[in-house]
Amino acid sequence: MNTPLEDQVHDALHRRADPIQHAPLSVTDVRHRARRIQRRRAAVAGVAVAAVLAIAIPVGLSATGPGQRSDVPPATRTSSPSPVPTVTSGTVTVDPDSADVVEQAPVPLLDVDGPTLVTADGTFDLPHDFSTITPYLDGWAGVGVYDEADKSGDYIELLGPDLRVDDEGSPTGGLVVRPDGGRIAWSEYDGTRWRVVVADPAGGSEPVSTTFQPSSLDEKVIPLGFVSDDTVAVRAMYDSGDPKTFVAGGDQPVEVPGLLQADAASAGVIAGSTEIGPDGTCFGVVDAVAGGDPGWTTCDHRLGPFSATGTYVVGTSTEAEYGSPDITVLDAATGEEVLTFEAALPKRTVGGFWTQMTWVGDEAIVARISIGNEDPQMMLLGLDGSVQRIGVAASGVSGLTVAVPS
Amino acid sequence: MTATLVDMGPHGRHADKDADFSAYMAARQPALYRTAYLLAGDHASAEDLLQNAFAKLYLSWDKIRDHGALDGYVRRVMVNENNSLWRRAWKRREHSTDTMPETGAVDTYDDGMGGALWSYVQTLPPKQRSVIVLRYYEQLSEAEIADVLGISVGTVKSQASRALAGLRARAPRSLNPHESGDAS
Repeated sequence: MNTPLEDQVHDALHRRADPIQHAPLSVTDVRHRARRIQRRRAAVAGVAVAAVLAIAIPVGLSATGPGQRSDVPPATRTSSPSPVPTVTSGTVTVDPDSADVVEQAPVPLLDVDGPTLVTADGTFDLPHDFSTITPYLDGWAGVGVYDEADKSGDYIELLGPDLRVDDEGSPTGGLVVRPDGGRIAWSEYDGTRWRVVVADPAGGSEPVSTTFQPSSLDEKVIPLGFVSDDTVAVRAMYDSGDPKTFVAGGDQPVEVPGLLQADAASAGVIAGSTEIGPDGTCFGVVDAVAGGDPGWTTCDHRLGPFSATGTYVVGTSTEAEYGSPDITVLDAATGEEVLTFEAALPKRTVGGFWTQMTWVGDEAIVARISIGNEDPQMMLLGLDGSVQRIGVAASGVSGLTVAVPS
Repeated sequence: MTATLVDMGPHGRHADKDADFSAYMAARQPALYRTAYLLAGDHASAEDLLQNAFAKLYLSWDKIRDHGALDGYVRRVMVNENNSLWRRAWKRREHSTDTMPETGAVDTYDDGMGGALWSYVQTLPPKQRSVIVLRYYEQLSEAEIADVLGISVGTVKSQASRALAGLRARAPRSLNPHESGDAS
């Protein structure tokens, strides 16, 4: 038996809806929409061609920022447009204490304890802690990190131009941004299944949502990076121990074989672990469509992220416990080591680089380094061998991190 | 004597599909549109939700053997789409200047309570709102709602309970449980 409130809700809904005698759609309308859906499905099947053609994603383009109504500037990802970057080789020691200081970061940073977003145009208060935040439509999209009684884990949230949360958010496996800022992608869980959304931050086209088979919240779908203009590689944690790799960007996800666990992606390629043996884990790079055997493998480095054009890929320690003691830049096509940045760690001192880092085009990396009990520092590491400390002060011991990891 | 079984071929089957689908749409569109409207809250979004659901139904028409389940399929697609964060954000932006007349807004028999409750229902989180619409408008059982939403019956109960508590908290004093006998 209904309570009085339930009866009133029943009556209110019927009073509201029953007078509506509306049949606005024709079969032609529906067929047109069905064709659009079919085209999207076909587009995913055609990723093979798109991925090959899209190898060279242009860098140096400014990301599309939030609408002009905002007083908060867009968190554009600035990529240095130098046409022929100088690349050195060998090993470069990274010592925050002796490094030159650059006052501004070339990419937006998050001050964890603020929490604030630090850009070249100023510092802006955030409603809570975020692990990633980037311009979307007339506001922002961010991955909020919660540790509360009724909400824990990562949530994708959409914020207004004033950086206030607009929507309650959904559980997410993460948010990635195409290197030129022209598309973003995130995953969200709707209570039954995961879906991946690829969206134009400028709002020029409708977002495309790819729905995965019904699964639990724990079987996260984690976006890794764009493999073509409109498709993104993801890792689906089915059965929480049997990760699979997919490409999403149409109605149906397309599975990519060849990796035990995908970790990073770039135009046309996906990097991840290929083999777990008694001596450790090996990693490789596979084609984003065909998958299969990797073109090259390494057992010395965990791979990812890729540089903006996919020319280089970062290698970090496979057994890093307190951060990776070094960052090795590898040629993504061959696996050949190009340059190594080595943290200046005194004997019996733990520390190293965080693996959450951002490429600045193909020329530099912004990474966080921790050495012993000293405050963590943000470093700008150039492939020309330059090492600079980013002189932005953090408000607390948690320090700074990049706002949009590559 | 000639055979009476005629193979209509792919073209004939296509024509049959369109005729069947057209008949289904003609019969069910007004009712399903009302559900879409209650889920989405405005006409533009309702039309979009329903068109998307009909399009997916059209593409799956040949695979759905139980035609008694067609309404359930359409409802499931609409609810899932409406619960999606990206769609809400997109529609909020796309229809920010939507001025279509809300034909359901005029209720000459309403004492004001219906309109107030409707406005509170619109403020509920999408998943709670889906449960409320399916329970009190479509009058589905908790098990049927669980099937549509792909969640457990227990989750349906908790979502409904939270939604009613939210409505009670926001509604006028006349809906106060102590005044309306709804304290249980």
